[in-house]
Amino acid sequence: MSELSENVAYSQPITRNGIAIDDTFAEAFGMSASGVVVTADSPKWARQAAITMSGFGTSVIGCGAECGIDHEVAPEATPDGRPGVRVLVFGFAPELVAEQLKNRVGQCVLTSPGSACFNGLDSARRISLSAGPRFFGDGWQTARKLGESRYWRVPVMDGEFVIEDKAGVSTDAVGGGNILVIGRDRVGVLETCELAVAAIADVPNVITPFPGGIVRSGSKVGSKYGAPASTNDAFCPTLRGAVNSNLSADDKCVLEIVIDGLSAEAVGNAMRAGIKAVLDVGPQRNVTRMSAGNYGGNLGQHHYHLKDYLP
Amino acid sequence: MSALKLKLRFAPQVRLDLSRLVPGRLAGLSSAEIEKLVVSGGPRVLTVGDCFEVSGAPGEDLIFEGGSDRFDYVGAEHTGGKIIVEGDVGAYAGRRMKAGHIEINGDAGVCLASNLRGGIVSVRGSAGEHIGLPRPGEKDGMAGGAVIVHGDTGDYPGERMRRGTLIVKGRLGKLAGARMMGGTIWAEQGLSAGAGIQMRRGTLIGPRIDEPLATFVDCGTHDLLILKIMAVHWRNTLGDVAPPAFSQPRRLMGDMASLGKGEILLTEG
Repeated sequence: MSELSENVAYSQPITRNGIAIDDTFAEAFGMSASGVVVTADSPKWARQAAITMSGFGTSVIGCGAECGIDHEVAPEATPDGRPGVRVLVFGFAPELVAEQLKNRVGQCVLTSPGSACFNGLDSARRISLSAGPRFFGDGWQTARKLGESRYWRVPVMDGEFVIEDKAGVSTDAVGGGNILVIGRDRVGVLETCELAVAAIADVPNVITPFPGGIVRSGSKVGSKYGAPASTNDAFCPTLRGAVNSNLSADDKCVLEIVIDGLSAEAVGNAMRAGIKAVLDVGPQRNVTRMSAGNYGGNLGQHHYHLKDYLP
Repeated sequence: MSALKLKLRFAPQVRLDLSRLVPGRLAGLSSAEIEKLVVSGGPRVLTVGDCFEVSGAPGEDLIFEGGSDRFDYVGAEHTGGKIIVEGDVGAYAGRRMKAGHIEINGDAGVCLASNLRGGIVSVRGSAGEHIGLPRPGEKDGMAGGAVIVHGDTGDYPGERMRRGTLIVKGRLGKLAGARMMGGTIWAEQGLSAGAGIQMRRGTLIGPRIDEPLATFVDCGTHDLLILKIMAVHWRNTLGDVAPPAFSQPRRLMGDMASLGKGEILLTEG
């Protein structure tokens, strides 16, 4: 939901490496989140299952959850000794995250050849992970408790699908950290954002849920048609002369990187990594300015002031 | 780490109930108070002081210097720390234990680990009949934890087992896993006759089986992912005594005279 933005006024931009940084902040919200580790016979198939379950998981408003790959998990660190991928799922409340897990794991991981699915978040509060998928066994499913974990074995056509019974859920998660990257060249801005997303990918416990981690359709709250959100006209280059624009005469493109994390600190670390990457690689790619999306500061509990995250 | 030592004065002529001698129950007691604890239920009352020389102070470890097949209920309802017995134990060692470790450097009597809930019971020698068997009125046999028997076992090991792991490195007795409802029995030398009789769920593993029951069906050889998960878990919890990894076992499913969701995995195919 963080791509909804109504930026407050800017004052006294800071300039680094020739890029102006608005004196503004990203406004983020408290969310619930869970994590799972998807394993398979090879990294390729573990990633395939993870990508599939993360699909249609960009904005919690329209998709029910914001999902993405946190990182790959080495075989030594997975319960079954096979290559894995950790996926994070963010939602408004634990029970809504549970519903999303049920559907996404049931339709996308259970169906993926050779896959297995395990808890990926240590947390005192837990939600059911197997609630839907295990009943696919039609009575042939069996459980095995090892230590504190219970695993379900569900007979499928390539053998057995193994899924852990519970997954941890946190209510300390944060969704909606963001950076707006503004420049004179659409290709250059896109390349800069790609490199920034790659830098953020190295930060643990965060995801960038939009396509490739990048949003081209930042939005403002409300619409003349009654929709909850509509295009952020103040940042649309083609409307610069027609609206109260936030862009200068040379700006041709604005792209946004949205960040969800398991904690406020994790999102802050990702903001810092993303901003550094933009400052490092943006000047050669016609990036001129960085900003952030917010709602005036009255809606979100977490404010990430760009000036506090400069390298 | 402090340890309380109990040195056996003489071979007991009557059965001793040692259920009170676990670290959790001895914490805070003085040596004099420990010596007054009653350990026999017969007409002649015997105390700890009558049977043992007490030294050291109560802590996480409890060491019996000397053992006997009349030592009953060693480590019963143990909740943490380590109990070491330098010798044999009698019936019901580790009964309803919840956590910690019992190391028996001798043989164990009947009903070892009755209704075990957690922790590890290790027997250097052999164990008697009915490992894990619940007492009358109780529903489950072993319900968690791990038992490792380095020698042989008597018949009916793992009877009515619900959870946990029983590893037998010697010869496993007959009728293993009778009426089993879950958990794993691993027989490194193979499964004896009658294994899995009336089992509902759970897993029996061994290289081969003598006289398999007619009520188990052959499902073929398979690469089972759960075995990798179990291997990782056992390696992490049991260390060197963890069973060796294997793949492609033959799977027999049964007991079809009961619920039929149990399995016998034969590692030699």
